[in-house]
Amino acid sequence: MNPPPTRLRFAGLHRRFGKLAVLAGVSGEAVSGQVLLVTGANGSGKSTLLRCLAGLLAPDAGEIELAEEGRPVAAGERRFRVGYLAPDLAFYEALTTLENLRFFARLRRVDPARAAALLDRVGLPHDRAAGALSSGMLQRLRWCWAVLHRPAVLLADEPFQNLDDPGCRVARELLDEQLERGLAVVANPAHLQLPRVASHVDLDR
Amino acid sequence: MSTWIAEAAAIFAKDWRSELRTRFALNTLGLFALTTLVVVSFALGPIGASPLAPAVLPAVLWIILLFAATAGLPRLFVAEEETHTATALRLTATPSALFCGKLAFGLTLIAAIELLTTPLFLILVQLRVDSPGLLVATLAIGGYGLATASTLVATMVAQARGKATLFAVLLFPVLVPLLIMAVALTRQAVAGEAAGVALTELLLYDASVTVASLMLFPAMWNP
Repeated sequence: MNPPPTRLRFAGLHRRFGKLAVLAGVSGEAVSGQVLLVTGANGSGKSTLLRCLAGLLAPDAGEIELAEEGRPVAAGERRFRVGYLAPDLAFYEALTTLENLRFFARLRRVDPARAAALLDRVGLPHDRAAGALSSGMLQRLRWCWAVLHRPAVLLADEPFQNLDDPGCRVARELLDEQLERGLAVVANPAHLQLPRVASHVDLDR
Repeated sequence: MSTWIAEAAAIFAKDWRSELRTRFALNTLGLFALTTLVVVSFALGPIGASPLAPAVLPAVLWIILLFAATAGLPRLFVAEEETHTATALRLTATPSALFCGKLAFGLTLIAAIELLTTPLFLILVQLRVDSPGLLVATLAIGGYGLATASTLVATMVAQARGKATLFAVLLFPVLVPLLIMAVALTRQAVAGEAAGVALTELLLYDASVTVASLMLFPAMWNP
């Protein structure tokens, strides 16, 4: 049997901040086409887990494996393969939405034309400075940034926060498209009604 | 153009685009350099012809350049951390390309400050330079070392508390050899003497700091 195009597996993840143990032996797995839902109260470690999975934070113990077509992706490369969406993700306030996305498109080696197409898709003006966006518009820009390079893995921390109904609709469409090409790990305080949730990590247990 | 160069160029262009809109570093560095220059010039007067001038004024010039650089260059990485844009950069930029893009931005800032400060300083204190070519070479090579060491130390302090104090404490020991060599070479330029081995030593300092920066930067930038 062929291996799934993308598989993300993590086991026994531990992470402490000083004396505070935020993650204590967290495990989970998802493959292409699936959502792994992470739930838990505020401070339960959802964001820390996603930062570890993205490669932004090194776990104190445990394993994280990302494999594409059965081949493991090196730990240092993982950060370039994932799409990451989180409340603390910020953009250059002096630059416009289009300038921000074009800059990251150049770093991601993506056609800059995709930046404009994504902004149109989520209904954001091209010429508005990122510093002048409302919180909902900023969340739409975060979605554009996260899927700019068509990642195999989307790590989304509270992906629907601050979005109005049209914003939620387009975000769910982008999530559906993500599941067509890869997998998603979605962290939210409450259980969301999402398609194709294959596994669930509850950090309150 | 290779993708690595394209990445570094994108970071350089982004930094300048942001800078030209906010003018934070330009205003800080420019005002600091001009204020110091005016104070020094009024305090010392046109002493270029005095016997002490060739010994003292090169040191004063490099102190002005040093403090102007330390007033603006820590922002290179501190701003990315403070505005939380560092997360997006960590997930997208190749560390060595990021360092070189930031270094190129720092270099152009230093070059702008040198171009603004040095001619004004020479005019105000009426200091005659017998080897202008050596002075230009010293400013270029010394400015490169100043920018590289500042960029490296700016990375170190970006995630720390008390950034400004820490930046100065860490940067000055690293820059002492560079400043000693740069002042000596500037004196030789004023006196019209041959550069000798000091220019090679300054080039070796630049090479060492560049290699150390490229080796250390990925470990400092990523967790």
